[in-house]
Amino acid sequence: MNPSVIPGRGWRLPRHELALLVATVAVFVITGWLDPNHTYVTNWAESSEIILRNTALLGIIALGAAVVIIAGGIDLSAGSMVAASATTCALILMICSEPGDKRLVTVGPLGIATAIGGAMASGLLVGTLHTWLITSIRLPPFIATLATLVGLRSFARAMCLFVTKERWGSESQQINVNTPFFSWLKEHNVVITTGTFLVLAILTWLILSRTVLGRHLYALGGNEQAARLSGVRTDNVKWFAYCFGSLTSALAGIFLMADSSVAQPGTLARGYELNAIAAAVVGGCSLQGGVGTVPGTVLGALFLRLVIDAVSKLIKASADVYEGMIVGIIVALAVTLTQVGRFSRTGRTLFAGGRGLAAIPTIATFAGLLAMMSSGNVEAFQGRTGLVGTAVGMAVLAALAVVRWLEGRRTP
Amino acid sequence: MTPIIAFRGVGKRFPGVVALDHVSFDLRQGECHAICGENGAGKSTLMKLLSGVITEHEGEILIRGEPAAFRGTRDAEAAGIAIIHQELNLVEQLSAAANIYLGREQRTPLGLLDDAAMEREAAALLAELECPIDPRTLAGTLRVGDQQLLEIAKALSLSSDVLIMDEPTSALTESEVARLDRVIARLRHRGVTILYISHKMDEVFRLADRITVLRDGRHVKTVDRTATSPREVTGWMVGRELADHGFHGVRSRGPQVLEVRRLTLPWPGHPRGYRLEDISLTLHAGEILGVAGLMGAGRTELLETIFGAAEPTWTGEIVVDGRPVRFMHPAEACAAGIAMVPEDRKRLGIFPDLDVAANVSLCGLRDAVRGGLVSRDREEALVAGPIRETGVKTSGPHAAITGLSGGNQQKCIIGRWLLAKPRILLLDDPTRGIDVGAKAELYQLIDRLCREGMAVILTSSELPELLSLADRIIVLADGRLTAEFSRAEATEQRILEAATGG
Repeated sequence: MNPSVIPGRGWRLPRHELALLVATVAVFVITGWLDPNHTYVTNWAESSEIILRNTALLGIIALGAAVVIIAGGIDLSAGSMVAASATTCALILMICSEPGDKRLVTVGPLGIATAIGGAMASGLLVGTLHTWLITSIRLPPFIATLATLVGLRSFARAMCLFVTKERWGSESQQINVNTPFFSWLKEHNVVITTGTFLVLAILTWLILSRTVLGRHLYALGGNEQAARLSGVRTDNVKWFAYCFGSLTSALAGIFLMADSSVAQPGTLARGYELNAIAAAVVGGCSLQGGVGTVPGTVLGALFLRLVIDAVSKLIKASADVYEGMIVGIIVALAVTLTQVGRFSRTGRTLFAGGRGLAAIPTIATFAGLLAMMSSGNVEAFQGRTGLVGTAVGMAVLAALAVVRWLEGRRTP
Repeated sequence: MTPIIAFRGVGKRFPGVVALDHVSFDLRQGECHAICGENGAGKSTLMKLLSGVITEHEGEILIRGEPAAFRGTRDAEAAGIAIIHQELNLVEQLSAAANIYLGREQRTPLGLLDDAAMEREAAALLAELECPIDPRTLAGTLRVGDQQLLEIAKALSLSSDVLIMDEPTSALTESEVARLDRVIARLRHRGVTILYISHKMDEVFRLADRITVLRDGRHVKTVDRTATSPREVTGWMVGRELADHGFHGVRSRGPQVLEVRRLTLPWPGHPRGYRLEDISLTLHAGEILGVAGLMGAGRTELLETIFGAAEPTWTGEIVVDGRPVRFMHPAEACAAGIAMVPEDRKRLGIFPDLDVAANVSLCGLRDAVRGGLVSRDREEALVAGPIRETGVKTSGPHAAITGLSGGNQQKCIIGRWLLAKPRILLLDDPTRGIDVGAKAELYQLIDRLCREGMAVILTSSELPELLSLADRIIVLADGRLTAEFSRAEATEQRILEAATGG
């Protein structure tokens, strides 16, 4: 089964983590080699800073997502929680600054502490709300956190409009934060966010693998009824899981606000929840619950960010356009790869029946179009993008047809 | 005349268990044939074979003289065999008519659903079954008795001529039972062969032409109803030799630790209205109280109520060590020194993703904490005790629990509870699905725990198990306590009579 659930038996990395580590190194080496500017070598400091900072921000939220997923739940609200936390932080800063100060430079240490404390407290409150909805009202976690995903961002925007109007007399969709402390945070963001991420990862790892609470989280996710019948207070364990999920988002919210020097609840961290869940899943967490590790999640986040960075380097496209496709493909591939063994054992085939046949041209078309679009940014292929696309599409079509033919021969 | 269905040496083995062993008998065209047997006698397995739920088996099933090779339930349906399961198979959100024609919907010439035609025909079918419901009613809003008739209507619309009914009266009121009797009479008039599975002697003798008795997966007898009596059939159902495990040495009975007074657990929305009614019992340290009863008699509910795992809506009194208690959560029962090993090991007992050590240590993990963290060395030392004591056979504490046999998994779960140092141990059918060798080891373990002063309540589907282990046996039937026997008084016959009301 999965011996990696109780990590740290010796320091041997379990298979999934090892595979991810190898894949991460491979992507790094291949990108460094193929990249015409060899950025990873010539400008390693800046490259690593970008990757580290992005990994840390994604990773902080992914750790929260992983804990909730291991406990057998799901938290869809992370992105909105980030926005709500950033807004809470900025609004408290605003209230603590002098009335006419629209850049929030006049906040004292006490105000800053209150603002950070308030942002974290908002995470605790939302986590508690989730637990209440799930354990008392018996909403499925998907529905409860879907409600806050939609509701919380809107709530943050309304709060922003209301408080700015009350305080400044004019409504504003965003609040600029130029408070010296947060500017300092922004200046040292690589060290501070990466450091925070590492400390949080170690803390989470300790909780999950070395405390009674951690064991109860795995037990809850693995078999909730059995955990309850063994005397585990499952509702309390759920409360910890959902609060931890919201608190990591709240923490990421503070860093993101500092990074952009502005709290903009309408757009901040939109869709982050799905990337965080994807990182946890790529890292080996099972959405069935009860399975997953911190090292896996950390590597999952690193791997996702690295591939996103690699693609933007290789095809010189804007990373955020391709980000969704990359995450989607990697999640599908990662989970498929863990199931290939099961496929061969049970004799199931990848392209069975008419639907399997229909999937082949679909995949080939996608591959061809993707190749055409991405080759547009590569000098060698300029003007021949249609040719590249057609060739790749045909090649994929032929390869999959061979796979299906082989499968058809194996199963009479 | 060729029998409509003939079983020829039919057998079925599951890992560690022989569910059916060389069963041979015939069903005659148009008869009502009852199948009787205790829990685990092989009735359900036989029905699953006949209805195509289980496809692999030994021996042959002949249908109208032709060997059948079902690859699934659809093949059985096509051969005219329909089954009415104990748990009904309806889509609650669809109408009665839509359920009857699910998967075979009638269409208008335009290819749209022809609801009017389906509702018309459904209404005719239901009227024939004395089921006065509107075919447009949602299936989920119907009473259980009507839902059952809906399933029968579905079988009729498939023009099935063999109808299997698996304990059809278990959730019916008396008037619904009477209506079902009339429906069965009418079906037989149409020439439908009925295979009626029940362990209620009064029903069997009211309805059946012939009776087949199964025991431990073997065919005991097939007789005409007129040639036998309920007492004789119960005797055949039991009639096995008592395995003597040698636990007859006197146990020393200690002080009373648990008393249950007039316990009633309501069952809202069910015609019976209660899961348990007016149950009183006492339990002393150093004794084993056996709880006998058929499936659904309320054994599990009784243990869960004591353990605080059921809905806390019960009335009556539960007294632990002279103190009235009302546990709202198993953790409270645990703190009061009560442990429960649940019935369904896979669903309620083991954690498939955790290793053996983590599965065992769960209830005592706090003892392995040093400086706020779980010490792995201490955890290993902690679980070594119960693993040795219960005799778990494992390659090591970090083996996967799913790699162990059922018996060893069960020992792990008992071992888990030993870490909580309970004084009252509730065991809910602990040997179900476990092979014979492991069963004997579990019996010895339970006997030893009891001699060390633990108070044990043991439920079991197997009477010999209770007879050889328990000091006293209480019998539940339909949520009521119907008899209590001392070890000297108890016989399988007397217990089964009390459990079947026969």
